[in-house]
Amino acid sequence: MTGALLELDSVSKTFTRGGLFSRTQVEAVIDVSFRLEMAKPEIFSIIGESGSGKSTLARIILALQAPTRGTARFKGRDLAGLRDGADRHAFMAAVQPVFQNPFEAFNPLKRLDRYLYATCRRFAGAKDEAAMQAGADKALRQVGLSLAEVKGRYPHELSGGQLQRVAIARALASGPSLLIADEPVSMVDASLRASIVNLFRKLRDELGLSIIYITHDLATAYSISDRIIIMQKGRVVESGDARTILADPKHPYSKTLKESVLEPLAPGERPLFAR
Amino acid sequence: MSAAMRNPAAKPEAAQGPVVAVRDLRAWYRLRLFGVDREVKAVDGITFEVRKDEIYGLAGESSSGKSTLVKTIAGAMRPPLEIVGGEIQFSFMDGTMGLNRAPADLVERVRWRHLSYVMQGSMSVLNPVRRIGTSFFDFAFRHMGLDNAGFEAAVVAHLARVNLPASVLKAYPHELSGGMRQRVTIALATICRPQFIIADEPTTALDVVVQKDVLAMFRSIQREMASSVLFVTHDMGVHAHLTDRLGIMYAGRLVEEARTPDVFARPRHPYTRHLIHSLPRIGDDRPRIGLEGTPPSLANPPSGCRFHPRCVFATERCRVEVPPMEQVAPDHRVACFEKDRVEATP
Ligand SMILES: Nc1ncnc2c1ncn2[C@@H]1O[C@H](COP(=O)(O)OP(=O)(O)OP(=O)(O)O)[C@@H](O)[C@H]1O
Ligand SMILES: Nc1ncnc2c1ncn2[C@@H]1O[C@H](COP(=O)(O)OP(=O)(O)OP(=O)(O)O)[C@@H](O)[C@H]1O
Ligand code: SF4
Ligand SMILES: [Mg+2]
Ligand SMILES: [Mg+2]
Repeated sequence: MTGALLELDSVSKTFTRGGLFSRTQVEAVIDVSFRLEMAKPEIFSIIGESGSGKSTLARIILALQAPTRGTARFKGRDLAGLRDGADRHAFMAAVQPVFQNPFEAFNPLKRLDRYLYATCRRFAGAKDEAAMQAGADKALRQVGLSLAEVKGRYPHELSGGQLQRVAIARALASGPSLLIADEPVSMVDASLRASIVNLFRKLRDELGLSIIYITHDLATAYSISDRIIIMQKGRVVESGDARTILADPKHPYSKTLKESVLEPLAPGERPLFAR
Repeated sequence: MSAAMRNPAAKPEAAQGPVVAVRDLRAWYRLRLFGVDREVKAVDGITFEVRKDEIYGLAGESSSGKSTLVKTIAGAMRPPLEIVGGEIQFSFMDGTMGLNRAPADLVERVRWRHLSYVMQGSMSVLNPVRRIGTSFFDFAFRHMGLDNAGFEAAVVAHLARVNLPASVLKAYPHELSGGMRQRVTIALATICRPQFIIADEPTTALDVVVQKDVLAMFRSIQREMASSVLFVTHDMGVHAHLTDRLGIMYAGRLVEEARTPDVFARPRHPYTRHLIHSLPRIGDDRPRIGLEGTPPSLANPPSGCRFHPRCVFATERCRVEVPPMEQVAPDHRVACFEKDRVEATP
């Protein structure tokens, strides 16, 4: 396996916002390029400002939105040329999303186990009820849940962290080669978060899964990423080896970002927002 | 039950009294699933207070019942969630059931002025077919007592505090990023400066720079009004810098509560200890391991101390008896039989 798994070439996305008389152009993503190699599975993190284009970039990679300029290719295929049918099916089996807000990601009227069964049936070749249940249970166990806990339940019946883990399990159930995880653990406690990022690491090492990890949590980004890009106002302001950058950021925005991380107080330190 | 509202002007209240006192609250989800009755005891015997003029933090394991607790206090329960026992008493209204059995018009009046609630994932509650500006008008105009121009100026100024430009007022929710929508809901919940704000994971979609501004806004409006905030987050760094007191939940119960610095410096409950020791830091390469064992089932919780199957300090007694919440120091309560041994362990 050689060549690029994913290749973004000067990708930009402009939105037009507002009504007839008050249109504003929003340049959500400006000239972003990077590539992930097939031969080298990695965890590639995207961090940056709220509103800097991270989720837009994720939707472009998932072929849910077309870039205004530039190209996005998966295994050499331009995503713009992806038609419905067999092509799209193969792409969806290989590239799986975990969306940003789990409360929006699921249809409130649809049982959660159905999502897992559908993924197992459509993308993982589960032929019958028993195979779908086994697939769903296996995926859920990887994130510290089980089918027994999820079966028959609707999205609003789970806690935020449980729902996020169902979203991760659903994405993993298809056996993807690329996972696009948009803030997958933002509602999960530190302990479970450690288990889930350890799982990401294991999936990379053992199954060769590449992961695009979008996060506001610099500490987990530091602990699991191979490479990182930092975005601000649609642009990549710094990119490279994750540890090097997070240990010693060079761009002023990256520096501010690192300095703004709130950590438990050192002895004698005053809380920033004390009474 | 009469739940008349008190006239705040007529009754000056002590600055240190509670804005809400919760006593032995039990709130369960009562389900019938595949013909079997199931009770999820998400809040199971919680007693605590949020005082006037403080920010009370709540942390704890995912699915330990934090959102259920704050939902119940905010009067936003829906079936199958039921109050099975206990009391919720607000300073601003009579009655011991809080908002949960109060008539709709009273609830309406209490909202905004007295209590506002940012629910978890609430960036999804904005009306998708209304512009943000319209939502502000719908929610807040009546309560602010300003003319149109004054109102718009107040909204724009308030949005600036959470780092949003005035242009978002013209946008529809789907045209904003997750973090922008999250800030819109925070701005909506805080613009009327209520006496008591309940916020459930309000900053999950914010980068750390913007998060700082938003937290500063929470503190400054709290300070301006000497009001109270109940703030739920998994982010222990946020608790360290923002909250005055901190409660830790595990499996439907409060297991420890103290002034925030004491929770970090002298945790007495083994779960709190684990939580604090598992925090990752940039530049620290020690691997973090998740808690051993599986999270407890709230439909069928472990006997005795609910943490015992995963607790390294557990003894025989922990399997059988429920540890009571006991005061161990001023403002410090903990529910653990081995609390002294935990404290003595480095
Ligand atoms: N459908 C849309 N129409 C108009 N503007 C949009 C649309 N989707 C996104 N935008 C704008 O594009 C910009 C980038 O949004 P995006 O959701 O990609 O940000 P983000 O980096 O994911 O932010 P966050 O960290 O807050 O989730 C924002 O200014 C947003 O308002
Ligand atoms: N409508 C419901 N029906 C049945 N069970 C529910 C319902 N809503 C929540 N639960 C269950 O109640 C328990 C507590 O959920 P809650 O949302 O209060 O947890 P939490 O502490 O807020 O978790 P998180 O940190 O993940 O948001 C969970 O086990 C959850 O599955
Ligand atoms: S009471 Fe026992 S099991 Fe529970 S936390 Fe304390 S030592 Fe552990
Ligand atoms: Mg986003
Ligand atoms: Mg919650």
